Amino acid sequence: MKYSGRSIKRLYDDKFVTGRSSYVDDLQVSAMHAGFVRSPYAHAKIKSIDTSEALKSPGIVAVFTYKDFSPLLKRGIGIWETYEDPKQWKFVARKALADNKVRFVGEPVAIVIGSDKYSVRDAVDKVNVDYERLPSAVSMEDALKDKVIIHEELGTNVGFDSTFSGGDVEGSFKQADKIISVEITNNRLIPSPMEPRGIIASYESGTLNVWYSTQVPHAARSEFSKVLGIPSSKIRVIMPDVGGAFGSKVNIMPEDLSVVLSSIKLGRPVKWVATRSEEMLASEARHNTFKGEVAVKSDGTVLGIKGDLLVDLGSYLTYTAPLQPAIIPLMIPSAYRIRSASIRSRAIYTNTPPITMYRGASRPEATFIIERIMSTVADELKLDDVEVREKNLVKPDEVPYTNVFGLKYDSGDYISLLRSGVNKLGYYDMRKYAEEERKKGRKVGVGMAFYLEISGFGPWEYGEVRVDENGDVIVITGGTPHGQGTETAIAQLVSDALQVDISRIRIVWGDTEIVASSMGTYGSRTISAAGSAAQVAASQVLEKMKKVAARIMKVDVEEVEYREGEFINKKDERVKVSWDDVAKAGYTGTDPGIYAQVTLQGDVTFPYGVHVALVEVDDYGIVRVKEYKAYDDIGNVINPALAEGQIMGGTVQAVGQAIYEEAIINDDGGLAVTYADYFIPTPVEVPQITSFFAEKPHVSAYPVGSKGVGEAALIVGPAAIVRAIENAVNKPINKTPVRPEDLI
Amino acid sequence: MLVRPGEKVKVKVKVNGIWYEKEVEPRKLLVHFIREDIGLTGTKIGCDTSTCGACTIIMNGKSVKSCTLFAFQANGAEITTIEGIGDSKLHPIQEAFKDNFALQCGYCTPGMIMQTYFLLKTNPNPTEEEIKDGLHGNICRCTGYQNIIKAVKDAAGRMR
Amino acid sequence: MRCNMYPTIFGLYEPSSIYDTLDFLDNGNAKIIAGGQSLIPMLKLRVIQPKFLVDLNKLRGDLDYIEDRGKSIGLGSLATHAKISTDQIVKSKIPLLSVTASKVGDMQVRNLGTLGGSVSNADPSADYPAVLLAYDATLTLISSGGERKVKASEFFKGPFSTELKDNEILREVEFPVLEGYAYKYEKIVRRAGDFAMVGIAVLAKVSDKVEDLRIAYTGVGEKAYRPYELEKELVGKKVTRDDLEKFAEKVSATLTPPSDSRGSSSYRKKVAKIATIKTLSEVLGVVS
Repeated sequence: MKYSGRSIKRLYDDKFVTGRSSYVDDLQVSAMHAGFVRSPYAHAKIKSIDTSEALKSPGIVAVFTYKDFSPLLKRGIGIWETYEDPKQWKFVARKALADNKVRFVGEPVAIVIGSDKYSVRDAVDKVNVDYERLPSAVSMEDALKDKVIIHEELGTNVGFDSTFSGGDVEGSFKQADKIISVEITNNRLIPSPMEPRGIIASYESGTLNVWYSTQVPHAARSEFSKVLGIPSSKIRVIMPDVGGAFGSKVNIMPEDLSVVLSSIKLGRPVKWVATRSEEMLASEARHNTFKGEVAVKSDGTVLGIKGDLLVDLGSYLTYTAPLQPAIIPLMIPSAYRIRSASIRSRAIYTNTPPITMYRGASRPEATFIIERIMSTVADELKLDDVEVREKNLVKPDEVPYTNVFGLKYDSGDYISLLRSGVNKLGYYDMRKYAEEERKKGRKVGVGMAFYLEISGFGPWEYGEVRVDENGDVIVITGGTPHGQGTETAIAQLVSDALQVDISRIRIVWGDTEIVASSMGTYGSRTISAAGSAAQVAASQVLEKMKKVAARIMKVDVEEVEYREGEFINKKDERVKVSWDDVAKAGYTGTDPGIYAQVTLQGDVTFPYGVHVALVEVDDYGIVRVKEYKAYDDIGNVINPALAEGQIMGGTVQAVGQAIYEEAIINDDGGLAVTYADYFIPTPVEVPQITSFFAEKPHVSAYPVGSKGVGEAALIVGPAAIVRAIENAVNKPINKTPVRPEDLI
Repeated sequence: MLVRPGEKVKVKVKVNGIWYEKEVEPRKLLVHFIREDIGLTGTKIGCDTSTCGACTIIMNGKSVKSCTLFAFQANGAEITTIEGIGDSKLHPIQEAFKDNFALQCGYCTPGMIMQTYFLLKTNPNPTEEEIKDGLHGNICRCTGYQNIIKAVKDAAGRMR
Repeated sequence: MRCNMYPTIFGLYEPSSIYDTLDFLDNGNAKIIAGGQSLIPMLKLRVIQPKFLVDLNKLRGDLDYIEDRGKSIGLGSLATHAKISTDQIVKSKIPLLSVTASKVGDMQVRNLGTLGGSVSNADPSADYPAVLLAYDATLTLISSGGERKVKASEFFKGPFSTELKDNEILREVEFPVLEGYAYKYEKIVRRAGDFAMVGIAVLAKVSDKVEDLRIAYTGVGEKAYRPYELEKELVGKKVTRDDLEKFAEKVSATLTPPSDSRGSSSYRKKVAKIATIKTLSEVLGVVS
């Protein structure tokens, strides 16, 4: 029985439904608690910090400021050099706490350590910081003027300035029948995993143990090692159950580092679990504006795009923020045959909480920009949305296709998917329905959007398969699942490769001392990269098993065939030996042990799809997304229910991004940091969601042939929903979120 | 009874059938009491504004958010947490959540299940609208809710 | 910028009777806690830092009554939103209160939160104040000095500010039974469970013309608001769509709603106008 392609139930749900799950705050470690003194100002000099009153507070063990930590530090927190090039950036590595200046409201200035959270919170109020307020630059427009410089060392607030160009842009604009101007904004979001981040650090006799709500335990170990000058061999990072991350927990925070440093200074375990308001400050995302022009022929052909992209960084360059300004331009051409483009991308420091990556990281922004462009072209030329896209999509015989900036798309038939998707999702029927409802006075609208996603990021992933003496299988994966259920899909792949029952397989991940190496789970890469590594390791293990079987059967290994739990002599099929017996034999003899470790290299891959939304706008301008339909080519689908789960979850985040969620920062740089002001959709606000996957998928180069689905719906959803709103109210919209007051 | 500022108050509660008696500060929230003083960490904390419902428990037969309740307010009460609804077997709601892929990261799941437990007790056969109305005090960031709603309907069927 | 989770240290008083409570309140610097659904979030934010909390839980049995007095219904201040929204007397005699109670917060909040707690908190976006104004409800306040009755119109003073003195408790809210009135509570929210961007409570007696009309708003200013004078313009006549538009325009012009994450002041004014027309058309049976 084959497991791949079936909706196998998730393997490890029991602990979650019974309350036996173990997130970082649930670990029974006897640790001191940490709390942070945070800046009330967007920009100020720290003149002095008086900790004496706080230290007298009951239960308080220590209060540390940057000066206490600086002797222990080799450098600040760097960037994610696997994917990001420090040479392209002007930045100052972020310190464990603010040194002589604060740069955003909420920036940690001191850490208070005490016996319980309540006393720590009391003592936080007793730390007296004397600030000298400085003028601040909260908006990108203000920061661009460079009147207020956020990092003096840099001399400018522009952290990144790069022009991406290809083809003959001037020529295209000369040939154009029409030049269309666009301005498109994605506002600031807050990723909001339900488990706020947390860390427990325990430093004892030169060894550092860290329990960390992270997606990247190995990268965190490496960064801690570089920052602290402690060799990696003396640092262990353990990822317990992680309650969602959406990319935001790749980030390594100054608070995390301060907890580690406190543990080193005190020689005892220290713990910090963010409150929701701290989590909302810790991780914010998106916020960019694109202003540009599009050269088009009157038949809808897009000849060229030029424009300016401004990306907000917040006050510091985080571990993951460099991705956005570097990838958004590359992905703006999407699956369209746009042969000339010039996009200047600048990233700007502002006196606001730092930006990190969030589900889709750069592709939602790029997709919103290009899909707004396509819809605007359709409107300006009075063409149909699907027609304009079809005219511009790269043709099947042009794939593999290299886009205008040199990015190579691996496989796909974009036009066929668009056509069959539009039919399958009933797009034109929905449009007709909406039109009829509008005639009756209801504001109903339908919108579509297409996307091409870059996923499956390499450069490699790790997989290890062990068969023990009883024939049971342990898979150690470099993937770091934290809700996606990809551990179950990996088990399916390994079960199929080994033809053993899935109940005999256990998947292990997220511990730097158990997993030899790991990149992790992010960027919709786990099935393709980690799944493939595990599958390859499984096939290597099977080869070892065959050798053992050959030894038992006293035949050449070439003569051994493996079928459903039995190793068979091809020349005489009556001679065979069972899986369990081979496993047992594998631990005797001269070369005992059955395992294989694989570091599988891989590169990016490009899923794509078309999504459709139906919305209704009420008398007050409040939008309700009523239906949402998705048709995606994500390569091979290993577990349809898990894949559908990603589409459904991404859709609701897309609903949030399109119409509810906005991190509002006031003129003084203060952020509304509670769920009372940041509107995560509840069950009442969600649409009926239907998801289909291409029947004949175009596979990736990864052995499992999957491309990835984790981010798809959030990448394309906002564009589809905004288009539906435009259709409902007949009014152009060029930003997310769309607020009720934009519509009446 | 008077407890001066800085003094502790005695709190006696029956949690999942067992009586506990502890001395705690009056300001201690019930969720911290359950997680830290009693050691039942199945009940989660997801926000600080009574919005997300991850801390939902049953107190004296009614679902409440244990982050918006002081431990002293539960004095004498009977409490059921996620650890208390199944016994040797999973409760039908727990089964339904598993079978319908109604969880991903699992963090909202205890609160979601406890609220479902209350909802189905007061309304054993809810419509989709009633389910949504009953669960909108619980936020899930992963699943998109559709499978949760399916699981609640499924659980209702199993419990009939 | 601080984390919003842990209240400051306070003491606790658990009275055995309401009279004990009143004596204790005379000492000052104490806050009453009933269900805690409004109070605890503020304590966690450290917006308020009382020296003592007075826990009324033990008195629940005496103070969560719903009493049918024929021409009026008396509700003890500790009646929960859940109880009010499901109680048969409330449903049949003061149905506007019943539907409003079912729209407060979410199910968990309704299980704990109380009428008295919400009313004394006087959040400018809370649901009940508009309903109390529409019914012209009477509030009974008690202190060690005795008891006084206050009309809803005099009770609400401003944002989180009421006629209640530090040493007083809201004991009861009494609603007149209005026979033959149509009613509606229109609550406009962006997301379920949220406070109202605008809330409108309407009670109207309609024959071939409007006999009586009571319309009250929440979320549109510093406190709930009822346009008494403007209401009269619609009474005594057969109201047309045109009348409603003029009425809504006039009401909207008098409002000064706040701007926040839910919507700007000018947006709220628009919403108030649209919602007024919509709600009154429905309640008064005006054909558009």
